[in-house]
Amino acid sequence: MTSLNRRALLKRGGAFAAVSAASTVMGTPLIAQARTLRVGSYGGYFENSFKEHVYTAFTAATGITVESVTQPNSNDWLVTMQQATAAGSIPTDISLYARDTMIKASRLGGLIKPLDMAKIPASSNLDPYFLFDAGQGVLGVGAMSWFSAMVINPTEVKEAPASWADFWDTSKYEASLGLSKNYNAQFMDITAATFFDGAATFETDEGILAIIAKVAELKPNVALWWSAESQMEQAMKNGDVIGGQYYLDVSNLMASEGFPIKPIFPKEGNPQDYGSWCLSALSDKDAEAAEFMNFSSDPATQALMSRKIGTAPLVAKDKTDLTADEFAFVSGTPAIKPAYEAYLDKETFMKEAWDKMVAGA
Amino acid sequence: MSVADDLAYGAEKAAVAIAAPKAAVVGRVSLAVHVVLWAAVLAFCLVPLLLVLIISFGHKVEGAGWEWALTLENYKRFFVGANWPAESTSLYLGQLYWSMRYAVSAALLAIVTALPFTYLMTRQSRRAQAVWLVFLLATVSLSEVFSVMGWDIILSNNSGLPMLFAASGLTDWLKETGWFDVLRDWGLANPRNVKFKPSEVATVLTLSYLVWPYAVILLYPALSRLDPSLAEAARTMGAGPWTVARTVILPSVRLPLIGTTLLLFVFLLGAYVAITVFADPSQHTTAVSVYEHVRGSTLNAPFGAAQSVILLVTATAFLLLGQWLTRKAARPS
Repeated sequence: MTSLNRRALLKRGGAFAAVSAASTVMGTPLIAQARTLRVGSYGGYFENSFKEHVYTAFTAATGITVESVTQPNSNDWLVTMQQATAAGSIPTDISLYARDTMIKASRLGGLIKPLDMAKIPASSNLDPYFLFDAGQGVLGVGAMSWFSAMVINPTEVKEAPASWADFWDTSKYEASLGLSKNYNAQFMDITAATFFDGAATFETDEGILAIIAKVAELKPNVALWWSAESQMEQAMKNGDVIGGQYYLDVSNLMASEGFPIKPIFPKEGNPQDYGSWCLSALSDKDAEAAEFMNFSSDPATQALMSRKIGTAPLVAKDKTDLTADEFAFVSGTPAIKPAYEAYLDKETFMKEAWDKMVAGA
Repeated sequence: MSVADDLAYGAEKAAVAIAAPKAAVVGRVSLAVHVVLWAAVLAFCLVPLLLVLIISFGHKVEGAGWEWALTLENYKRFFVGANWPAESTSLYLGQLYWSMRYAVSAALLAIVTALPFTYLMTRQSRRAQAVWLVFLLATVSLSEVFSVMGWDIILSNNSGLPMLFAASGLTDWLKETGWFDVLRDWGLANPRNVKFKPSEVATVLTLSYLVWPYAVILLYPALSRLDPSLAEAARTMGAGPWTVARTVILPSVRLPLIGTTLLLFVFLLGAYVAITVFADPSQHTTAVSVYEHVRGSTLNAPFGAAQSVILLVTATAFLLLGQWLTRKAARPS
């Protein structure tokens, strides 16, 4: 979730960090006898918002103090935790993992342990999809999610597309779109949902190649294959592209600052990715972790995160007190669920086939 | 043996006796310096290089990371792709080709433009030369990211050249005369306006801009040592400026010229930001691919390392070729 980190640097910055860091330090000695829990999250604006808004509310509700741990991201952190677990000393009790990393962790084994779901009753608010069970019990409870959406420049594109298929229309979009160059940026999932059978198409190599061949037809319309998020942001601002795929929350933020960008939920929907809280296998804080995950699953906490951090809630909108505008800023329907397993099982094949298509080799 | 000889012998012995500990100290110090130098070379050059070499033989585990191994699969993949023998791809060879093509063309462009500039600069007053050199050294301190950002703005639709095209009516004129459709065929326009990125021209221009100050600074010593009376003599004998440049100036700076070109070439092989911003993905380089495999979500360090080793070997071959050319140039013809 680099989007939030980068935005942190641009917008809120250091003062914010200093205040929240100070409040954590000052709060600690008073309840040194009390229960504590170490929780990891991606650094920057994201972690600071958690410390300021979510952890303080959790401590107020349960008396458990949270010690915030900075994770660089999901993938690298798994490597860190793997080494730490082997060494017998872990830096955190709870880690925040994206779904693909969580699946990797469950496959490697011995890194995260099953949770006692009886002690996390509020998790019933979440769609079962967000409770990850690889066969030995629930290993991860959904924390928050984010969308990458269809975006257009509303001054150039008068009629908003009703479907992702509209982007394939060269008479409208010749050399005008911006897409991610990364094979796993979920444009394959979008294509599968629009022209094929969604995630099921990823089950065979032929299906994957058919999806990639369909994306190849779009190439004349792509002006920018971005590798850094800021490239797409600049291209939309500069008018180098008039549409494409971009993060929903950042797009809304740019639009609210007056830039010509408008995120859209076409009929096929937009890809939704999410993070999960996972308990380290070496942690002895099972009870505290369960209370934390229970608190996080509460619709009120989900709404708090949407307002303060810009993430999409993992509970239905009507369970929260989010207004229609607040909800539309971070979420929408329908959601396209990425074919995570295929991205892991066939990563070399998929990356190379995608790169060949993009390069025309 | 005379007394004098005796005395001389004694004095010699005494001198040796005094010098010996001093020589031993000097010897120890020089040994220590050697050890430190070698340790530094080992720690900072050889060990990382060896590590890359060893990792390049590692094995990628699908859906996880990689493990130490002794396999040639990464090298095989570079030449035929991961799905060989079912199918083969020249994707990675193509990227190596673009690495070489960009590095060679941008280095040559920088040299060809920096040479006349530097020559004219050396003909100016001491003060003017100093100002130019300080200015150029200062621009070197700009990171690649800032330079690329600047060019990005110059070439962007709402803020750069395309805006000038549209505002001056040039875009409309192109549309009326039909040239606009030709530009669209060449990928230099979208239905609304001309566009200069991604394009090879933008990439090569930006890359040569990045190394241009180095070219001037490296050519400066040779050109400033050039005796002006040589060129003046040639002029008085009736040679035109072009003849003077071709027969007097160029031959006398041939060696530094080749050396500078080689240095710029090697420097450009590792360019990353300019390529990702200005080059179409069909023209991306090995350096970009290395980064994607090592830092991307597949965490395929072994394949990234194998590509690095191949890039290193290819660059070395180019340098040996350059050295051979230099030796040929050094020989009197």
